[in-house]
This record gives sequence, structure tokens and C-alpha cells, in this order.
Amino acid sequence: MDVLENYKKAWSNQPEETTKFSAIEIYKMSHSKSSSIVKWIFIIGILELVLWSGLNLLIPESFYKVYEDLNLTSFINIFMALHYIVIIIFLYLFFNNYKRISVTDNTQKLMKSILRIRKSVSYYVFYNLGMFFLGSIIVNIVMFSDSERLMKLMNPENLNLDTNQIIVITVISQIIYLTIFLVLLWFFYKLVYGILLKKLTKNYKELSNLESSIQA
Amino acid sequence: MQKDLESKFLSDFETNQNIAHKICRLYTTNKEAHNDLFQEITIQLWKNYPKFRGDSKFSTWMYRVALNTAISLYRKSTRRVKTQDISNYDYRIKATDYDDTEEIQLKALYKAMHKLNDIDKALIFLYLEDKPYKEISETLGITSVNARVKMNRAKEKLKNILNP
Repeated sequence: MDVLENYKKAWSNQPEETTKFSAIEIYKMSHSKSSSIVKWIFIIGILELVLWSGLNLLIPESFYKVYEDLNLTSFINIFMALHYIVIIIFLYLFFNNYKRISVTDNTQKLMKSILRIRKSVSYYVFYNLGMFFLGSIIVNIVMFSDSERLMKLMNPENLNLDTNQIIVITVISQIIYLTIFLVLLWFFYKLVYGILLKKLTKNYKELSNLESSIQA
Repeated sequence: MQKDLESKFLSDFETNQNIAHKICRLYTTNKEAHNDLFQEITIQLWKNYPKFRGDSKFSTWMYRVALNTAISLYRKSTRRVKTQDISNYDYRIKATDYDDTEEIQLKALYKAMHKLNDIDKALIFLYLEDKPYKEISETLGITSVNARVKMNRAKEKLKNILNP
């Protein structure tokens, strides 16, 4: 008889793996989606923070002169500081989401986490859009509240122009500028987070199907 | 349809997962690598599941996909650390028929098998799992004759490692 035959019995008597995976863990592994999507939400959030603060550094000093002329420098500084604090809180939330979802091994909890993530991402997007809108509105109100200063700003050469005309032109250009930027920003978020959230939603649907078929 | 397929896959895999665990034990030497390979096998199984027509048993099909995954992954990373860190594994024999010699045999067997190359590992594994040559050749995608020749060589190698 083959010597190795002796080992066959030992082989077949070897214990089953002690740390077995449940169906939901297997599901998560085979799809390996949710946690990587959530990881990307966190990473993109960080990249976005770096991108925006990088752009702020790139803006030439002269641009801030407008704010100086409007006596808005300290307001802008406080506004930005608050903004960054909120963004960091959001990033912390995203990171927490990621950590939580990577250890979940139960369908219900996973579904709940997905819902929570969707909520936090949409809050984040609305916050950013709202902040942009609010900031622009405040700057505009300050700008238009003092027509003399506005005239100086818009007409530094002191050309002989009609004040009302300048105000109308400024208002229209501000509205156009604000709309364009809001739409662009919205598209940006729609593109970046929309795709991730769509995948996450698909995942959520699969999970709820799975849950109902397990219970059935 | 998709839903039924999915839950069928999950329940089949859940009950047969020990096959994958044994393959992971064979191709990796620590818990982390074990779980990585297990996940890779899971992904491959799920990816290939739509092609599984059910003309063979789920477990038979699983042997094929899991072994091929282990072999190809093993090939990709030749720099994989080959520490003999097998202490993490629980090689103890089932308590019901506890036998000291079997435990020692099993330990020696794994240690020796870790020294074999990827294909020889697969051959010996299928031999120990008591698979007929027909199934072995299908699983590894070689002819039955070739399987026999290779198996004899692999067995010789293993015997030499076990009893130098």
C-alpha cells in the first residue's frame, strides 16, 4: 500500500475551519462593493478638500483686494475657518462610515449603514452648495449696500457713466455668474458622488432582495 | 431570477466553504493571506457562477475554480513570503476520534505540502480528497494520463520530503 494512504485518514479527519464565514460575509466578499465605494467617498472627500484649499492658495493676492475694499476680509476669514471645520467634521463622518461598514456582518446593519452614508453624502453636497450660495449672497448684499463704494469698485477710472446703469449691469452679471457656478458645482457633485451613490443604491437593492429571499 | 441565483450561490457556498478553507491552508501560511485568498476565491466563484450549468456537482465545480484561483494567484506573486508561520492554524483532530498520531501526521503533511510547487500541491490535495483521476484531470485541465504521470511524480516528491 502507498505510504501516503496512511496520511489520508489524518487528512479526512482534519477539523473544519473554525472561523467560517456567514452568507452575508460571503456576499460582501463576492461583491466587495459597498466598503470600497464608501472608501472612495472618503478619499474623494479628502481630495476635494485638498483641491479647494489648493485653488484658494493659487488665487492671486489682488483678488482679495476686492474684499479688502469692501471691508470683508475678517468676515471671509471667519467664514472660511467655519467652513473648513464643518468639512473636517464631514470627513470624520465619512471615515466613520467606512470603518463601520467594513466590520458589519449583518444584512440589516449593512443596509442601515448604506442609508446613513447616503444621507451624510447628500447633506455634504447640500451644505457645500448652500455655503457657496450663502457666501455669494452676503458678499453681494454688502457690495450693493454702499453704492458709492460700488461705483468706485466698478468704475475705478471714474468714467462718466450712469450709476443706475452700472448697478443693473453688475446685478445681472452677478446673477449669471452665481447661476453658472452653482450649476457647475452641482454637476461636479452629481458626477462625483452621484455615480458612487448609484452603485451603493444598487448594492442596497441587492441586499434587500437577499434579505427577503433568506427570510422566505 | 438574479435573486434566486444569488441566494442559491450563497447557500451552496456557505455549506461547501471548507473546501476553500483547505485550499487556503495549503497555499498560504498565515491567517491574513488565508483570508485574502479566500476572498479572491469567493470573487472568482461568484463571477463564474453564471457559467456553472449544474451538470456537475457544486463542490466539483468549486474545486476547479478555487484551485485555479489559488494556482494563478500563487504564480503572480512569486515573492510571496514563505514563512513557515503555521502556528496560527489549528491542526487538531476532531475531539471525537482524537488521535495523537493523526495530529502529528497532519502537521507533517501540511509542512511537507507547503514545500511543493503550486501544481503538485493541487494534485496531492485532490489525491487526499480521494478524487478519481477523471475528476482530477478535469479539475486541472489536463489529460487523465498526464494526471497520472504528474501525480506519481508529485507523490514521490512528497514522500521524499516526509521521509528524507
